[in-house]
Formats: sequence, structure tokens, C-alpha cells
Amino acid sequence: MNDSMMDLLVKALLDGDQTQAIIEVGKLREAGVRRRQIITDGVEAAMTQLDAKCTVEQFNLLEIMLCGRAATGVMKVLYPLGAPPLQTKAAVVMGTLEGDVHDLGKNILKMVLTAKGYRVVDCGKDCSLERLVDAVEQEAPVAAGISGLITTIIPQVRQMKDKMAERGLGHIKVIAGGAALKQATAESLKVDFIAQSAFDGLHYLDQIVGVRHE
Amino acid sequence: MNSIERIKAALNFKQPDRVPVIAQVFGHAAILAGVALGDYVRNGELLARCQLQALQFYGYDAVFALMDANVETEAAGSILTYRTDQYPIVKSAVLANGTDLNTLLPPNPWQAGRMPELLKAVRILRQEAGDSVLVVGCVLGPMTLATQLLGIEAALYLAIDEPEQFAHLLGFATKIAMRFGVAQIEAGAHLPMVFEPSASPEVIPAPFYREFVLPYLNQVFTTFKQAGSAANWLHTAGPATPILHLYPQARVDLANIDFCVDPLDAMQALPQTCLNGNIKPLAYVEATPEEIAAESSRLLKLFANRGGFILSSGCEIPPESKPENIAAMVTAACQEK
Repeated sequence: MNDSMMDLLVKALLDGDQTQAIIEVGKLREAGVRRRQIITDGVEAAMTQLDAKCTVEQFNLLEIMLCGRAATGVMKVLYPLGAPPLQTKAAVVMGTLEGDVHDLGKNILKMVLTAKGYRVVDCGKDCSLERLVDAVEQEAPVAAGISGLITTIIPQVRQMKDKMAERGLGHIKVIAGGAALKQATAESLKVDFIAQSAFDGLHYLDQIVGVRHE
Repeated sequence: MNSIERIKAALNFKQPDRVPVIAQVFGHAAILAGVALGDYVRNGELLARCQLQALQFYGYDAVFALMDANVETEAAGSILTYRTDQYPIVKSAVLANGTDLNTLLPPNPWQAGRMPELLKAVRILRQEAGDSVLVVGCVLGPMTLATQLLGIEAALYLAIDEPEQFAHLLGFATKIAMRFGVAQIEAGAHLPMVFEPSASPEVIPAPFYREFVLPYLNQVFTTFKQAGSAANWLHTAGPATPILHLYPQARVDLANIDFCVDPLDAMQALPQTCLNGNIKPLAYVEATPEEIAAESSRLLKLFANRGGFILSSGCEIPPESKPENIAAMVTAACQEK
């Protein structure tokens, strides 16, 4: 294998070209490249490049969706039985809160985090706080991510930390994102962080995980 | 000047007696009147009464015949879930279950779903207030309606995987928007606002907008003008700066700018287009009247020399907003010299 083979995979992923990405994975496997290396040097590298490209000014969900879909396709080819593709950095529980069904942002964050080595437990949309906190209790994640497009979910957001603290989970970080929540401050929402984009959320999580590893 | 004259002056960059103020009060009118939102969005007469009460309470320059963002998709066959105190949500999108687009007909606005109720609201509002106050209807833009008919993720993937099929879907959505908007004008709306949040640069790249969305928006606005619309009002939520300069190609007369758009950037991109905005929607819930007044004053000063400005929120004023905050914005516009 030479670097250009892996570069072709990264390019296909960045182009959002799932078909081509899968072809490139096939070539890499034929050349004897290990699955783990394809994930690290291909999928994660593509996400890192996309991250650098997506500034606050130049950011759109479609581009990330396409790259994320291609990355998901690659992982399915590498791990057809759905086994964990690699030793995950940490688990993250996420959900779109009750009363809101706009979950595109959450789904994109899920793709980004999965491609970057996190194990994501997705509680879906229109998700009650109780269900979300149950999942946090069961999965012992590094953080819980909550999203919402409409302002009426804000009272629920403000309860999240307290509900977790009641079960002894107050040390777990809470990240908020979505059009309604991005208008507020973390302090006013009683959360630890407000992600302005999927990659903003990723950076925050990496920071937490990095701190923990030190 | 009455409200209509004032808004027309702003649209034409002429000097109004004061800067017009349009509070984007939709479901908040129900809360203010003590009516359940779930009833408000299903009953045109009730909606109109609530809007008129809110108009009387606040004294702003426009009323809205607007239920929620799901009227068109429901009329086309999507199934909604109604909630007492919130807007309805799409339970199943009409094209998400494999229904062939070719078997669907654009809904008749006088018969399908809640469209007739919305038209009833338009008629009442025009009759009761429309001689002096702007009566605004609303249609979803083609891109947004396409995402409502199929589901946003599926629609975006379709755009990339099968662009011809996606163009077909956009064409269908455009027909619905044109028919519904023209019906609103016929019922008495001065103009139907076009709400197009799925076309925000946060969702799709600007080149995609230029290639896919702009031609269809142009069709919609051309049709509305021919039907007698007073102005072409486009509302794209979110950070729309990268696409603002394209608006004239769609014949936009009035551009809504959300709170995350720098008004100076908008002025530069659209030197001859009237702008409305851009107070942060959540501020009406969380801020104080003094803060709203200060932000209103800042915007009024910023646009004082340019003109072509309507003081407004960046997007919908949330239903649960504090009335004193909305009143503070209206007062600021009325008192500014």
C-alpha cells in the first residue's frame, strides 16, 4: 500500500462519494491494509479535513451528511456484522427532547462522532428527559448531548443536570445544540457547553476525553 | 401614514413617518388570547380573532395568517400529530413511505387539509384590518416544502443521488407554493411571505442554492407579483449571508435577516432591498424590556441613514415570549426620531 491509495479513500469520503469510497476500501483490503488503519488513516483523516474546512462561516449540513454517509458505508463494509469498529474513545448519549422532532443536527453529530471513534447511544427524537437520563445511567457516557430546534424545549434542558444529579450522575457533562439552544448561553441553560456545530461538539468531547486520559 | 403606507415607503426607500415594526407573532397570538395553540392552528376564524386581539394589544404594522410549517405537506397527504400547547409535527411524510410522486396532485387550496381554514383567516383579517394594516399570508418555499414532503435527510440525499428526481420534487413543491400563495392573495392577503429555512446556507451550500433553489423561488415570486402581491418577502432562517446577494435574482423585495446575520453585511449584499430583522427570537422570552428597547434602538440607528428597513425579530417570536418584550420593540419604533 502506498499513501496515494489511502488519499484516494480520503478524497472519496470528502466528496461524499460512498460508492467510490467503498471501491477504495476494497483496494486497500486487497493490498493487505488492516481495517483499523483504514479507519484511522482514512475515515478519521477525512473527518479531520472536513472539520478544518467547516468554519463557522463556511459550514453546511449537506456536506457533512454526505461525508458521514460515505463513512458509515465504509464502516459497514469493514465490519458487516456491526461489531464495534475500534476501541471507542468514549460513549456519548444523545437525543432530541420531547416535543421536538427536528433531529437532523443530532443525526449529523452522531455520524461525525461515530466516524471519530465515539460510541453513540442515540435515544432518538421526541425523547423524554427520563428516557435520556435512564440511558445516561445505563451507558456511563462521557457526556449527554441534547438538541432542539424550538424554544419550547428549553425548560426541559434546564432540568437535565438536576435530573442527572438526582441519580448521582452530576459529574457527566451535558452538551446542548440546535437552532433554539444556540441562541442561549450555557449558563442560562444550565448545561456545560453549547455546540455551535457538530465539529464544535466534537472538539469539546475530545477535550474532555483528553483531560481524562492525562 | 397608516401601516400599509408606512411599509410601502420603507419598501421603496422613501421616508416613512416612523420605521415600520413587524413583530413576527404567530402562535404567540393564541397564548396572548388564552387559546390553545392546537386549536389556533386548526381554526381560521379563531386564528384571525387572536391575531386581531394581538394587533390591538401591541399596535404593530402587520398581522399574519400563518398556522405552522406543516399546512402544505398535510394538504398533500402527510399525517400530522396535533398537540394541545404546541405546533403540530409531521408523523409521516407523504413521500417517505414510498408513495410515487407521479401519483400525487398538488392540493386544491380551497379544499385540502387546513388550507381553506387559513384562507378564511386571510379573508377575516383583510376585512377587519386590511385597509390600514398589512395582511401577510405564508407559504413554504420549494426547498423547505420538498423536505417536508419527503423528510429532510431523504430529500437532501435525493438531491445528490438523483438530481433529476429531486428537481421533479422541487417542481411539484413549487406548484403547491404558487397555488396556495395565489389563493391567499385572492382571499385578500397583501402578500404571502415565503418561508424557506431548509435553503439556509447552514443546511445547503450556496452553489446548491444558486443552482437548485433560486430558479424555483423566482417562479414563485414572479407568479405572486402577477397575482397582485404587494411585495416579495423572503424569509430564510439562519446565517443567510452567503446567499443574500442572490436574492435580487429571485425578485425579492423584502428580505428577512435572522439574528445571526450582521446587518452591515446584509446592507452591503442587498443595497436596494428592504430588510427586516433581526432581534434574537429567544430574547423575547429571556431578555428584559430594557434590553429589547436597547437592541431596537441600536438597529434603528444603524439603518437611520440607509432607510429600507422594518424593525422586526430575526425569526418567529416564540409563542411563550413575554408580552412586555414585544411591546418594548413596538414602543422603540414608535418613539424613535
